[in-house]
Amino acid sequence: MEYTRRSVLTALGLGAVAAATGCSASGGNTQAAADGPAEGEISLLTPLFEGSTGKDLLEGKLLPAFKQKNPNVTVKVDYTTYAALNEKITTSLAGGLMPDVVMLGVGWIPPFAHKKVLAPLPDELAKRYEYEDRVLEPSRYDGKLYALPMVLDTRIVTYRKDLFAEAGIKAPPKDWAELRAMSKELARGDGAGKLTRVGFDPFSIDLRQCWETFLFANDGNLFDESGQQVKFNDDRGVEALQLFLDVIKDKSADYSFKSSAGQPTTLQQGRSAMMMSNNSLWVQLKKQSPELLEEDKVGAFILANKVPAMLQGGTMVARSASSKHAAAAQALVEFMGTPESILPTAEQRGSVPGVQNLRTSTYVKENGFVKLALDNMSKARSEGGTAAWMEIREKIKTTLETAVVGKRTAKEAIDELANLSKEAISRL
Amino acid sequence: MVSTRDRVRAAAPGPSTAPPRRRGLLRARRRAGLLMVAPAVLHALIWIGIPLIAAIVLSFTSYDVLTPPRFIGLENFRDLISDNVFRRAVLNTSIYTFFTVPVAMGIALLIALMLNTRLAGRAIFRTAIFIPQVTATIAVALVWLWIYDPRSGLANAVLSFLGLDGPAWLSSTDWAMPAVIVVGIWQGIGLKMLIYLAALQSLPTDLYEAASVDGASKVRQFFSLTLPLLRPATFFVFVTSVIGAFQSFDQVYILTDGGPANSTTMMTYEIYKSAFREFRMGYACAQSLVLFALLLFLTLLNRRITGGDRATR
Repeated sequence: MEYTRRSVLTALGLGAVAAATGCSASGGNTQAAADGPAEGEISLLTPLFEGSTGKDLLEGKLLPAFKQKNPNVTVKVDYTTYAALNEKITTSLAGGLMPDVVMLGVGWIPPFAHKKVLAPLPDELAKRYEYEDRVLEPSRYDGKLYALPMVLDTRIVTYRKDLFAEAGIKAPPKDWAELRAMSKELARGDGAGKLTRVGFDPFSIDLRQCWETFLFANDGNLFDESGQQVKFNDDRGVEALQLFLDVIKDKSADYSFKSSAGQPTTLQQGRSAMMMSNNSLWVQLKKQSPELLEEDKVGAFILANKVPAMLQGGTMVARSASSKHAAAAQALVEFMGTPESILPTAEQRGSVPGVQNLRTSTYVKENGFVKLALDNMSKARSEGGTAAWMEIREKIKTTLETAVVGKRTAKEAIDELANLSKEAISRL
Repeated sequence: MVSTRDRVRAAAPGPSTAPPRRRGLLRARRRAGLLMVAPAVLHALIWIGIPLIAAIVLSFTSYDVLTPPRFIGLENFRDLISDNVFRRAVLNTSIYTFFTVPVAMGIALLIALMLNTRLAGRAIFRTAIFIPQVTATIAVALVWLWIYDPRSGLANAVLSFLGLDGPAWLSSTDWAMPAVIVVGIWQGIGLKMLIYLAALQSLPTDLYEAASVDGASKVRQFFSLTLPLLRPATFFVFVTSVIGAFQSFDQVYILTDGGPANSTTMMTYEIYKSAFREFRMGYACAQSLVLFALLLFLTLLNRRITGGDRATR
């Protein structure tokens, strides 16, 4: 056979196309049944067990207990962080090496279930334990259960009781008007007018999650029930963002007043009187500023305006649809969803356990923020709700930020975000 | 003027005139040559050629990794035109390149000239200046994160000592890009300095001796001899620096996450976000092609302006 330059180029082109389209074979549209014996080597991708403490808990305690129950299953752990989880999943899927068991965030189930990356779980698992109200909602898609909750994370407002007392404020704000007035009263500046303490720090948590908490407290929604219609672009969504601009305008908040990861928060440093927080702040306070807890200087409350609301995220455990050892993978999912796995995991991270019978545990009783979150679980709302969430979640912070830094009005930013979201949904 | 290639061509007998034994020898030589370049060609084909063709093909598809690619024609490119954030990323990348490349090249040349003298302890200086190049950007960026901290950072501490009120470097839309540019300049000096130093050390000394005899000052020698003779090195440094600047990613990833409000987002960062955070591989491929086309254009333009790697004789 004679090879001409043209034939070689054509072959190369076709090869590349084949290679490119071949990637899609890993899409995992075939869902292996989880019947049969639990055996084989399976992989677990987790963003939860960070650092040596996390590794010790998982590999020193939880997995040996799992192995005792399932002696024919070996688990290979792939540790990651939430920041890198997306890349891990994308590259795994492209390479056809999707982990058998994967831990995902709230809001991630619809996109992955929609694309048949995850396998549905038996609905009986939802009734195994008494779960807190609505905890299983983010685990479902299209009426089927796809994941079990491991730990929950909520967004609450924490405040300095000593600074409140100093300003003569007796109780936390009941709505945004009070929040704004108190923030003004609690903010402090130096002689040159530069802020030394903000009354309210909404920016130390992710802007997306902060705005969502305010949206829910304003009785707003992200999407409709079907996940096809954008609902956040009404007055409630705009008002939620406008409040951030108002507190900045009042000089009672500042976008540069943020807590750096691992460092004491603005609340701990006394540079903010109120701060949007994750419930895990309790554990951080115990480690970094125990005196604030011992002297009862820190309190927490649920944000409220039209309704009281708390954003509830968390980590769920699911089984890959393409797992070659489906029974073993499901056994691990079931094991990670038991109170015996949930409690130490929550304890290690300062997270909220989603199973009701853990309410009486010493951990919950002694962690004020976790207790507050559990007592208000009926007011919790979650992000996501559309199969286009993975794309939309990336747009929220950057788009809202344009308003926070004064480049756009709140309405313009929300309208832009709505347009981007509609485009993403239309691509489904 | 007759070039070497023309001379070689003239010397080589044409295939029709060469005797059969000579022709066989030439064929064997050609085969040996092809065999020797084969590993490099194969490497380029597998790791550059196929991904490039795959990227071109995928840019015409909607591909989310989870489901097979679907042909959508020019839709990704149409979306690109109306994508404000990507337009902003192109602008930011251009601004970043415009400031980091010439400034870092200028500083690198100046340092190379100083280190090309009989300066005491010059090996230590060379190492110190090259260290940022070989230090992991993540570690470098974390140190800069501390330097830029508005309250406890070194930058504002120095400004405060001078009686100036420092800004919130990375949270301000006005200051975040200059802050990233400074890191880019600082990190890029080492390699450029090394290339310039190597080029300076290979310059012919007889020309400088002749210039001295003719009474040319050091400044005149620099502008009339050194700079023109450094043209191939400058071309190389410029092209690699522009490509490097257009591909800068990690410092933005750590320092600003592209913010605030997309004020520091770069083309590579947008490509990464589209591909790995938003699962839009087809769109990311279209963005990559725009980056590729821009780099190709800039390289060709620079080659046309500077005459490429040909030194002025």
